Amino acid sequence: MTSRLPEPSRLPNRQPQPIAQPAPVPEVDRRIPGWRLWVPLLFQAALILAVPAQDAYTYTTGRTVVLQTVPVDPYDLLRGYSQTLSYDISRPDSLKALPGGKRFNEPVKGDVYIVLRAPQNSATPPRAWQPVRVSVDRPTDLAANQVAIKGRFDGWQLLYGLETYYMPEDQRQQINTAIGQAQGQQAFVVEVKVDAQGNAVPASLWVKERNYRF
Amino acid sequence: MVTEQFRRQLRQESEKWWTEGLIDAALYENLSQRYQFDRLERDASHRFIAILMGLGAVLLGIGAITFVAANWQVWSRTFKVLLLLACFVSINAAGFYLWRRPVAFGQQRLGHGLLILGALLLGANLGLMSQMFHQHGDLYELLLIWGLGVAAMAYSLRLTSLSVLSLILTGMGYHGGWLSWSSWQEFSGTQAIVQHFPLVVSVVFVPLAYWCRSRVIFGLSAVAIATALVLNLKPVSIWGSFLPSAGWIAAIAFILPPALLWGYSDRIWMRQGTADTRYPAISNTHAFHPVARSLAVWFLSIVFYVFAFRFWWDNAENSYLYFLREDLSWQPLIDAAVLAVVAGLGWLQLRYQLKRAFRLQAQAINSGTIAALLLLAAVVFLRHQTIGLFGAFSFNLLLFLLALGLIRDGLAVGQRHTFWGGMVLLVLSIITRMLEYNTGLLLKSIVFALCGVGVIAAGLWFERNVKPHRHTLPQASQEGTL
Repeated sequence: MTSRLPEPSRLPNRQPQPIAQPAPVPEVDRRIPGWRLWVPLLFQAALILAVPAQDAYTYTTGRTVVLQTVPVDPYDLLRGYSQTLSYDISRPDSLKALPGGKRFNEPVKGDVYIVLRAPQNSATPPRAWQPVRVSVDRPTDLAANQVAIKGRFDGWQLLYGLETYYMPEDQRQQINTAIGQAQGQQAFVVEVKVDAQGNAVPASLWVKERNYRF
Repeated sequence: MVTEQFRRQLRQESEKWWTEGLIDAALYENLSQRYQFDRLERDASHRFIAILMGLGAVLLGIGAITFVAANWQVWSRTFKVLLLLACFVSINAAGFYLWRRPVAFGQQRLGHGLLILGALLLGANLGLMSQMFHQHGDLYELLLIWGLGVAAMAYSLRLTSLSVLSLILTGMGYHGGWLSWSSWQEFSGTQAIVQHFPLVVSVVFVPLAYWCRSRVIFGLSAVAIATALVLNLKPVSIWGSFLPSAGWIAAIAFILPPALLWGYSDRIWMRQGTADTRYPAISNTHAFHPVARSLAVWFLSIVFYVFAFRFWWDNAENSYLYFLREDLSWQPLIDAAVLAVVAGLGWLQLRYQLKRAFRLQAQAINSGTIAALLLLAAVVFLRHQTIGLFGAFSFNLLLFLLALGLIRDGLAVGQRHTFWGGMVLLVLSIITRMLEYNTGLLLKSIVFALCGVGVIAAGLWFERNVKPHRHTLPQASQEGTL
């Protein structure tokens, strides 16, 4: 650090340095090639499209399954108004009695598959599918009226990626009221699509006889 | 470096001199040419335009994001996707082609603003896509993906503004992910980014700082790496437990970051011989390592101050912190190991300084003393379960030594901020200790008074006796300005 101090004897002899002219507007060649925009832009566009890719696949190839729901708190500040949904099969208590359900006695996190069975006869609004067993590995021996949905146990509840429903601004009030009235009744169900790997996306919401498409 | 303020003042003054007859028109003209008085107004208006453009771009971006939140559901999904992508691509393209124009300055600024808007639109698009499919993923996942997307553009266009935006987004995403209790991830891999955030920042943003030659990016990256190392290793959650790893984890989490920051040198990345020829600008000035070193001192000050509290050392089994205990992962140790190698390389470069450490050096806070402080602290951390209050004593001692070293350096080199940093640290530690240990009011008053007198005296002495760092001015011109 001592080297920063100029030797005093040299100071008086120092020629005044010409003060640098303020640099003119840089005339640097800005004509950088177009690929420097298009390559990262393509990457960003791929990111945008990758966000819904899995869901779009599930939506087009999946089987329709109906789940019994109960709503919880309704507000997500940044993304606008949304309804947070919770399902009968989100609660480990309702699955403990099933074959394989003992897993939920311990708060061990991880993926599980819930096998659901279709109701006997169809109705409007549709009746909810019933869980029949729990499996850690993806079940391959499913009957024709059964579907396996993949969930993740986080220690106290199961998540399926179906927990959020974004409402159109103009219908928000109406849907919230309808849900509030229908709460606890059999009629509040969600139709989801489940693909062969067990991934699920929400498709529509039934509140009593009314159907709201997602 | 001639500041714009100086040029303005000079113009004002020289006009006065001219009218007063002190200088003639030719001299005024010379001054005017040399300091380019005629450019002053243009520069100011350019800056004003730039501020307006930036503000406009930010507002437009916020507008776009709010638009997302407004849940417009009139059009079909496919149409919305196409519309959004078209909007995103066209804004970025317009920005790029305006920005790369060689001459038109205002258009360049506009282009730059549009590119930033494009980066914000990326986030809006990601959010809207996620919302359209009612995804349940956390906000942090979106922020991470958004930040990395912007980083790609920042690399390609070599723009500091986009780099900083990207780093802020990624950092927010990391903290969100770290705090998140939910185990649901919409996108696989985001959890891995959070778990290995120190490495992600080192690989993505530190090279970006070199690429853009930006100290800001480097400083922010260094802060991100250091905090993420501590947060990921979670040393506090097993502090004081009888797990054999508790001491090691604490030592790694609190000693590795300052060791890395202090030892970091740009030369690590250069082979011998190529260093000076290929990157003269970097190798000659060591552009980034002063930043890293002052961050290291900051980090050490904070760690010493925090662990000087008795609270940490009172009970070997620290029951207060039990609630923080959760499942630990060995994954962050990978990052720690990699960064330890970098730190080791840096300290290898410093080995010559270390050899001279115990001979007199210009600065008290040099590589030798930092190494000694780090070693002492590491030993105390390693043994923290068994040594009890000796730990608190050691950290008070370390804090005191660091503060004294800073004060001494501030005096020796004439750096005001170093001096005052050390002073604040010293006074803060004395007052904290006094409030912590329930001392009598009389003693409190004496200590407060002594601290006050000491600070005033030291400050007066410093400002009077130590010339701030302006040794390069020749004697004559100093007199001239008085």
